[in-house]
Amino acid sequence: MTALAGLPLVSLTIFLPLLGAILIGFTPSGRPNVARYMALGVALLAWVVSLALLVSFVATNGEFQFVDQASWIPMFGIQYKVGVDGLSLVLVVLTTTLTWISILASFSPIQNRVKEYMISFLVLEVGMIGVFVAMDLFLFYIFWELVLVPMYLIIGIWGGKNRIYATMKFVLYTLVGSLLMLVAILAAAFTYQGATGGWTNAFDIQALTAFAAQGNFNGTFGFVAFAAFALAFAIKVPMFPFHTWLPDAHVEAPTAGSVILAAVLLKLGGYGFIRLAVPLFPEAAQTWAPVIIVLSLIAIIYGAIVALVQPDLKKLVAYSSVSHMGFVTLGIFVFQQQGMQGAILQMVNHGLITGALFLLVGVIYERTHDRTIAKMGGLGAKTPVYAAAFGFFVFASVGLPGLSGFVGEFLVLVGTFATSPAAAAVAAFVMILAAGYLLWMFQRVAFGEVSDFLKGLGDHLTDMRPVEALTLVPLGALVVVFGLFPGLILDLVAGSVSNALAAVQQAAPIALGLWR
Amino acid sequence: MNFSDAVTLAPFIAAILVAASIIVVDFIAPGRKVPALAVTFIGLALVAVLVVLTGHDGKFTAFNGSYVVDPLTTFLDVLFVSIAALTVAFAPDYLEERKLPVAEFNAVLVFAMSGAMLLAGSADLLVLFLGLELMVLPGYVLAGYHKQDGFSTEGAIKYFLLGSFSSAIFLFGLAFVWGLTGTTRIAEVSTILGSIVAGAAPLSPGLGMGLAFLTTGVAFKIAAVPFHYWTPDAYQGSPTPVTGYLSVGPKVAAFALIIRLFGQALWPLAADWNVVVMVLAALTMTLGNLVALTQDNVKRMLAYSSIAHTGYMLVGLAAFGAGKIQGMEGLLYYSAAYVFMNLGAFAVIAAIQKRSGVTSNLSSFAGLVRREPGLALLLTLFLLSLTGIPPTAGFFGKFYVILAAVQAGGWLTALAILAVLNAAVAAFYYLRVVVYMFMRDPVGDIPVMPHGRLVWTGLAVATVMTIVLGLFPSVLLDIVGNAAAAIG
Repeated sequence: MTALAGLPLVSLTIFLPLLGAILIGFTPSGRPNVARYMALGVALLAWVVSLALLVSFVATNGEFQFVDQASWIPMFGIQYKVGVDGLSLVLVVLTTTLTWISILASFSPIQNRVKEYMISFLVLEVGMIGVFVAMDLFLFYIFWELVLVPMYLIIGIWGGKNRIYATMKFVLYTLVGSLLMLVAILAAAFTYQGATGGWTNAFDIQALTAFAAQGNFNGTFGFVAFAAFALAFAIKVPMFPFHTWLPDAHVEAPTAGSVILAAVLLKLGGYGFIRLAVPLFPEAAQTWAPVIIVLSLIAIIYGAIVALVQPDLKKLVAYSSVSHMGFVTLGIFVFQQQGMQGAILQMVNHGLITGALFLLVGVIYERTHDRTIAKMGGLGAKTPVYAAAFGFFVFASVGLPGLSGFVGEFLVLVGTFATSPAAAAVAAFVMILAAGYLLWMFQRVAFGEVSDFLKGLGDHLTDMRPVEALTLVPLGALVVVFGLFPGLILDLVAGSVSNALAAVQQAAPIALGLWR
Repeated sequence: MNFSDAVTLAPFIAAILVAASIIVVDFIAPGRKVPALAVTFIGLALVAVLVVLTGHDGKFTAFNGSYVVDPLTTFLDVLFVSIAALTVAFAPDYLEERKLPVAEFNAVLVFAMSGAMLLAGSADLLVLFLGLELMVLPGYVLAGYHKQDGFSTEGAIKYFLLGSFSSAIFLFGLAFVWGLTGTTRIAEVSTILGSIVAGAAPLSPGLGMGLAFLTTGVAFKIAAVPFHYWTPDAYQGSPTPVTGYLSVGPKVAAFALIIRLFGQALWPLAADWNVVVMVLAALTMTLGNLVALTQDNVKRMLAYSSIAHTGYMLVGLAAFGAGKIQGMEGLLYYSAAYVFMNLGAFAVIAAIQKRSGVTSNLSSFAGLVRREPGLALLLTLFLLSLTGIPPTAGFFGKFYVILAAVQAGGWLTALAILAVLNAAVAAFYYLRVVVYMFMRDPVGDIPVMPHGRLVWTGLAVATVMTIVLGLFPSVLLDIVGNAAAAIG
């Protein structure tokens, strides 16, 4: 792959969608199909570029590769600096994959203001990829906030009945977290500037990480700054008790919005923990870890219990997200190699599986304009292909061995068991609960007598169209592949994980006398 | 007065001449818009060129040290000329529709601009006061420019009464300072105050009173809480292009006054006034934002939001008072960013309200994207910038003042945290307008009217500046750095 070596592949992945969004802006608004196919084409192109990146990436020791660098605001040492390590790369490919799938899945549900929708989606992709590849904190923050605006529009314009409430809640929650993070970013950069006597590299994530590893962000400052970072990421993940925006946003968002929200946006939080919060503030991370572990366990249990009683399909999947993402934060904060690798795998799995589940909910919603579980009995008889696909992803979500959902949660549990067997026991117990709410839901939806509601729909209730199946096939294939060969991802991220853990495993918690 | 003095003052003299010639042109061709506009724009361009040509890298004083040209003067003057030019671009459409004369508007506006320019370059407390009055008096006229409109008159009277009252308080404060120092030259005042402070003598009652009066006076001018009561009525009542001007012109000019007075003359007392500035900053941004939350009228909401922006700028001032030059740089950067984004926002509102009788209530904005997609998109950009979402000018402005505050540390870190929390609150009401424009259906039947080329040109300038100052801040950082260094 030497031919690709000279190309700025990472920048290309970021800015292709932006270019596409600008070009779509110039297409006539009376021709929605032009916008649709252009968006799909651009998203596929970005996907191909990201795959080229994947192929030419050499998994070594977690060093950043394909680094593109340019001075941007020299006065503060702010640079345009992007690059990928294993962790970034996995999430970038996840993003590009799910973006084209989501755009394809929006072809028929989105009928009004198609052009604006496609532009929003591509800009969203720019922001998401940017967050994963930014190697400068300022740039990271810019992309982090850039994600907000298109998602705000996607929920607010193309969402359901209560969309305005949901989208405002989403924006305000996210903004509070990210603005406090901005203060912490500035404080960290300023500390670096004070210690080194210049602004050079003051926002460079690698430089700051190395600086932090020498124990420069310890003590009270680290404690507070970590809290600010962690709050921003905890809201995004979302962790209990900052999760309340999620069910609203998911329920009101259009199908593709939910897919991308669950599959990629939530991962921004997990990525932030691994890339920034833990390595920058190792001591504070140790100090806060017990709190975060407890909150993760609460999220795992609470999400599962609330999901159990949801009458609405989409809400059920949304709460199951809270529960599954609890495993991610748990896996990160036990500070074990397996735990964190498992957490990353879990992020990818959750992206694939929950993304697929939201797509499936969207498919049925498009036909019935309803998502009430109680009304759906007997789908298996009316729409067998649909029920089979649904069943497959439900089992993947439950964590059936052989499918990818299992490996991630298993690794997290292994990692957790090494540090805190009690927490592992609680989390393992909830896996049974997950089987409970998911299978019970599936049973009510797929089996039994065909309900009067479905009978009333008559011929409107068709089985899946080829396009809809096409959006699910890649996800299903990846679920199987990663279930059988989890090493594909685990090897890729191993270096990044050991880098992230290097400092924190050495660090001792700050003696606060609060919770120990 | 010698030749070099006259050269130093050339931009100011030119500004006065431009204002006068607009009136003369209106005598020759009464009621004709095109000649008046042509003279205004050519004149403003000339003033801008003169400002740049007479600029100095160092400090250059004239008239026995009562007027100074330094990078700060140049920076502020260019900003004032931009404000005037943009306002002149946005106003004619709105004024003509309401049968209000354009030429007088331009003349009065340019007079106000010349006052602001005098203020920016004053090195003497009396020149400072002269500039202030020359800047605010035309403002009262502009606020009441729509004289058949009761609200416009009401706003103008409130503005005038409180404005002149605060000018009197300010002058009273100046008298105290003069009485204690025996001079009105800013540099000498600073030296004498410095020696008083160096003697470790406690703040004398007279000086304390003077400081209190001065602070109150300028707090009125920048509309800091609790001296902001004139703002909402004056802003809501004024014709919309005037509101745009009032929200940026007098505000930035008043900050110029603060910089010259507090940053230079009263600098030795920084430890004393900075506590007040911090309290004012905290109150101003919090109250401005909280009240803005409850407004249904967009103009009034932006009036309260402009109060909040005063608060953010005061954070920069407080960081400067705590000894961080970055605070001043942040304040200046924020001012520039604020000028373009706020003028842009008001220009869109003025364009929407072009047809007489269209209110600035939120309902007028419902479904705007269907009616006028271009305006809706631009207003969204300006509102996002006001919120402080990257990559816009407003974001980098906030970034800069917060950076300075964090750098100063201590209580200022708390102020920085308060500022970002306020920004999150502000997101709610700014985005509410976006919700109305994009996510609600239009109410009633508001006709679409074509907008003049001038309006679009002005909007293009504001848009480009809002984006460029957000994406490539480096273009302004050196200029701002030099300007701030001039007072450091």
